Order: sequence, then C-alpha cells, then structure tokens
Amino acid sequence: MNLKGFKKLGASAVLFLAVAAVGSAQLNTTEQTLNTTVYFDYAHYLNNDGYLTSAKAKSSAFAFRRAYLTYERKLSDYLRFRFRYDADNAANITSINFANGTTSSDAKLRPYVKHICLQWNQDWLQSQVNIGMIETMSFKLTEDRWGYRSVAKTFADGYSDLTGQSIDQTSADLGVSWKGTLAKELRFGLGVFSGNGYTRPENDQYKKFAGYLQLVPLSGVSLFTYADIETQVEGKKAVTYKIDAFINLIKNANLVFEWLQYDNETRTFKSGGWSAYATYMVNPGKLGAFLRYDRYQPDSNDSLKNVDLIIAGLDWFAWGSFCRIQPNVWIRSYKDSLKKTDVIGVATFFMSF
Amino acid sequence: MSSKTMKIFALAQLALAVFGGTLLLGQKMLQVKGSDTMVNLVQILAEKYMDKNPKQPIAVLGGGSGTGVTGMINGTCEIANTSRDWRQKEIDMAWEKGIRPRFFAVAIDSLSVIVNGKNPLNELTIAQVGAIYRGEVKNWKAVGGPDMKVSLYGRQSNSGTYVFFLEHVLGNKPYTTDMKEMNGNAQIIEGVITDGGGIGYVGVGYIIDQATGKPMKGLKVLNIKKDDKAEAFSPLDKAAVDSGAYPVSRPLWMATSGSPKGTAAGFLAWIVSPEGQKVVEAEGFYPVGGKLMEQNLKNLK
Repeated sequence: MNLKGFKKLGASAVLFLAVAAVGSAQLNTTEQTLNTTVYFDYAHYLNNDGYLTSAKAKSSAFAFRRAYLTYERKLSDYLRFRFRYDADNAANITSINFANGTTSSDAKLRPYVKHICLQWNQDWLQSQVNIGMIETMSFKLTEDRWGYRSVAKTFADGYSDLTGQSIDQTSADLGVSWKGTLAKELRFGLGVFSGNGYTRPENDQYKKFAGYLQLVPLSGVSLFTYADIETQVEGKKAVTYKIDAFINLIKNANLVFEWLQYDNETRTFKSGGWSAYATYMVNPGKLGAFLRYDRYQPDSNDSLKNVDLIIAGLDWFAWGSFCRIQPNVWIRSYKDSLKKTDVIGVATFFMSF
Repeated sequence: MSSKTMKIFALAQLALAVFGGTLLLGQKMLQVKGSDTMVNLVQILAEKYMDKNPKQPIAVLGGGSGTGVTGMINGTCEIANTSRDWRQKEIDMAWEKGIRPRFFAVAIDSLSVIVNGKNPLNELTIAQVGAIYRGEVKNWKAVGGPDMKVSLYGRQSNSGTYVFFLEHVLGNKPYTTDMKEMNGNAQIIEGVITDGGGIGYVGVGYIIDQATGKPMKGLKVLNIKKDDKAEAFSPLDKAAVDSGAYPVSRPLWMATSGSPKGTAAGFLAWIVSPEGQKVVEAEGFYPVGGKLMEQNLKNLK
C-alpha cells in the first residue's frame, strides 16, 4: 500500500472509530473527575564552575515546572473522554514594537491543550483505542515506572532539553492508537500520529507510524521494543528504535533499562543513548528513593558531545499523596574536558489534588 | 572539590537519608484498601485484631474494589479488598509488575435488593431486576407493583458491587443511564428510604439496624427468585444463602501479593479463624465454609 492509501485508511479508521464510539456512548452518566497536579523546584547550583552553571546569577533559584488540570468523564462502561490542560512558563512574546523593531515577552504560566481525546475500551484483546490529541507510545510505560516526572523527564522525553539535539519524541500528538493484549505474556500497540506533537500544527503531509511489542516472559520481567518512522523532506526517513527492560522482582522496587537510537536521514549523524534507573518505596505512602544514570550521545560522529547524568533523590510524602517533597541531586558530566561537571541540589515540590 | 568526590558525597547523603528516614518513620502500618461494601466490616475486624495485637497497626480505606486492585499493583497497599473477582486485565497487569495475587474469601455477602418500605411488592425474579436496571421496566406496575415510576439507585463503575450486579443480574448489558450512581451502600439506602419509587442494591451487612437486629426502618428487602417457577428467598435467610438457593450471593475477597507475611499473615489467619468469622457474622455477613475455607487455609501457607 502506498502512502496515499495509508492516509485514506487512517482517515477512514478515525472516522469509523469516532462514529462507533459516539454511537455506543451514554451521554448523561455522572461519573467524572477533575484532577490538578503541580510541581516546582528550588534549585541550588553546588558547583558553579561547570558549563551550564557559569552564570553566577543562576546559582540559586525557584523554577516553576508544570501545572496540569485534567478532566475525565465516563461516557459509558466502554468509553471515556479526557481533557488535559498543561501550563509551563516558557517565554511568550507579548507585544511587538514595529517602530523600533523590538518585541517584549514574559514567562507567565499559560495553559495549552495537552490531551483532548476519546478512549474506547473493548473486551476483545482487552484493547483500547485512543482518538484525538493522545498520549504517544514510546515512553509512556517507562515514565509510569520512573514515576518521578516531577523531578526529571525520562530519557526519550528529556533528551533535547539536555543536549539541544532533537530526537523527535513527544509525549502527546494528534492521532489514533490501538493497544491490546494478545496473551498474558504479549501486549502490542499501533499508532498513526501527525508527527508534530502538541506544540505545533501539522506542517507536512507525512504521518508518523509507530508500534510496539511488550513481552512479559515471567512475572515481573518485561521487554519492550518500539519503533516509529516518519518521512521527512525529499522522501528521506526518520526512524526511532527503542528497547526497554522492566524488572519488578523485588516488592515495591522498579529496575529499568532504556536504550534509544534516532536516525534521521536529513542529518549526517545518529543520536541516542541509554538510561538505567531504580526506584524503591522504602515505606509505601511515606518514603521512596530513586537513583538514575543516563548516557546521552547526541552525535554519533562526535563523542565529545556526550553527556552523563546522575540523579539521586528521595520522595517524602509530607502530606500523604497530596503533597510530596522530593529532594534530589543532579550531577552532569561531559566527555569534553573543557566542560566541567555540574552539581545541582534541587528541592522539588509536588502537589496533586 | 573534585567531581568524583562530589558524586560520592551526594550518594552518601542519599544513602544516609534513606536509612535515617526508615528509622524515623518507625513501624510500618499494614495498608488495606478497596471495596466499599467491605470497608466497615474490615475496619471492625482490624480494630478487634489490633485490640489483641496492639503492635500490629492496620489502616483500612475504601474507594471501591478497583481502587484496591490498583493500589496493590502500584504498591500503595498490601491487601486489596474486592467484592468481585479480579478481571483478567488486572491479573495480567499484576503479572507484569511481578505481583501474583493470592485470594482469601473472608465473608459471604448476599447482595440485597431493597425498595422503599411503602412499596407493597415483596419479590422479584432475577430477570425482572435485570430489566429494571437496564431501563426496560420504568413503572412498578409492569412487575406487579403500584402505578409509580421506578427510581434507580446503584453504585459507580469503580465499585465491585456495580460490576458483580452487571455480570450476574443485568447479563452484562449496560445499566440504564437513568440510574443514580451513588458513592456507597449507605447513600443508596438513604436514597431508597426517602424515595417512594426507589430501588437499590447493597451488601447484606448494610441493611440491618444493629439496635433492633431487623432491616432498617423505611426499607423493604425483597425476596429474589431465580426464575418464575422457582421459590423466592430472602438475602437474610442464611440457609438459602449457604445452599445457593438465594441467587445473588458472592464471596468477599482479600488479596495479598504472594503469600502473606508479617501483620498481613496474622490478620488474615485471624479473620478466617472461628473467632474472626464470628465477627463477620455479627456484622451481618455470612461466614465462609467448605472449599473456600480449605483454599484460604492452603493460601495462608
């Protein structure tokens, strides 16, 4: 099937699923939830000799990270609607002075739509179809296991933040996905996305096709393999491969290994790396701990650009699950000897209601 | 300070904090979470157990059977209470996270269909109750009652009772959207008492007034029969529940991750003991016997 055929098939599938889903909905049920999650940091740069911390003004600061407002409504036993606003304080241009040719900006918290989707659950293959602005599939499972999005994004999500090199992974995108269980030991997921994430409208005709297989050979051990592909300009392709291993053999402990490679034919190099982390609930609902190591390799042709990151911290449930304080330390070191190690002490405040 | 020294320093601080934190937090409390039908019963069981074992603290929370299962999978509780069987999807999710649930039947509940005390109706078949909750019967007259609109009270979908009723009474066909989805058994009872056309379903342990030993004032407990030709039985008829003649009874489950240990093992062993089962009976539920009890004792090992 050519690309045009795929597009028609994708569009037909979305239309069919939307009609079928709405048709089976019961629209006046009352079950709905509204949830807010907020987190912010106080960061202190313990070492100000490094590459990222050379500006002394940055030595100590509060930083707002995220605020989520999520509304979910059960439309029937099989159908749910989800709407999520997200807010961060990325700088926004607020006015343009045409006379002087200047702009002014601020960094107020501004909401934007992160999710707006229907979730259709089926007994067949225990499957779930998501339609709309939905969660993507590449790092959802590892993010759930990491459980400390408030402290740091997972490897695939946070890559460009640390290296400046995009690997074209986003947590949400416009599209349709289908996930299910073939057997207790084998789960799958397939998806078609715009490829532009939730921050930009689609600006080309190409779609991102994604899929995963999760093998659970024995209780507490999973192997997750993922790939996506999207055509770029001039017919060139961008492909992401990912392999994760999840180990839950000790009660209340997660051990995860994540490997990723991104190959975009419009570039002359590959990007990728790996991450390993362990989380442990020392006393569930009271105290947890985590330790993580990431090796970022933004340019396969230039190992001097490699970055190592260690994150270690605690998770104190100060007021139950509503308010948690997560003291943590980040240590970034660089292969390039001209860049010195950064050490940052962070107190993350996490609230969820 | 060299980068290596700083790394060692940071990790040492972490280790110290974890160790210190564990000591400071002191003794671990057994976390039990799940079914709202079971929450009162298990709270009372926990109080009585703690009277005898004051050094084994237990916290019991409701939230619905689904909440208990999720809590166990996410590691936020050690015992999950459910008034329904675990779904295959939940068992698979637990398997993935290294949890192999072990189930203990701690009581038998005869799910009771209740109507307002002024409703002259005394019995219904399972099929009639199903038709009422699917919205196919909208007036009491259609099932031999007064000429009055049926007003439905039920639970939210996170409730095990909601699921059990859906599977065993509604034949897995959806509830009518006219049903008022209440937070718990007590709210259903309150609704039915104040609503002349009201009908609801609750655990048998909730319908008895502890002061009188009889069903609460303003409430009528309907007798239920399997079909038109069968005899109708009351959920309060222990012999009918034991023999299976009362058609809507179910075990209430407590699940642990693997074989229970520590406080969980002691608590469960006491619940399934004759002493614990007496408390179950005193709270209006029925004690467990036969194969379910054999399975309990096997699972304790």
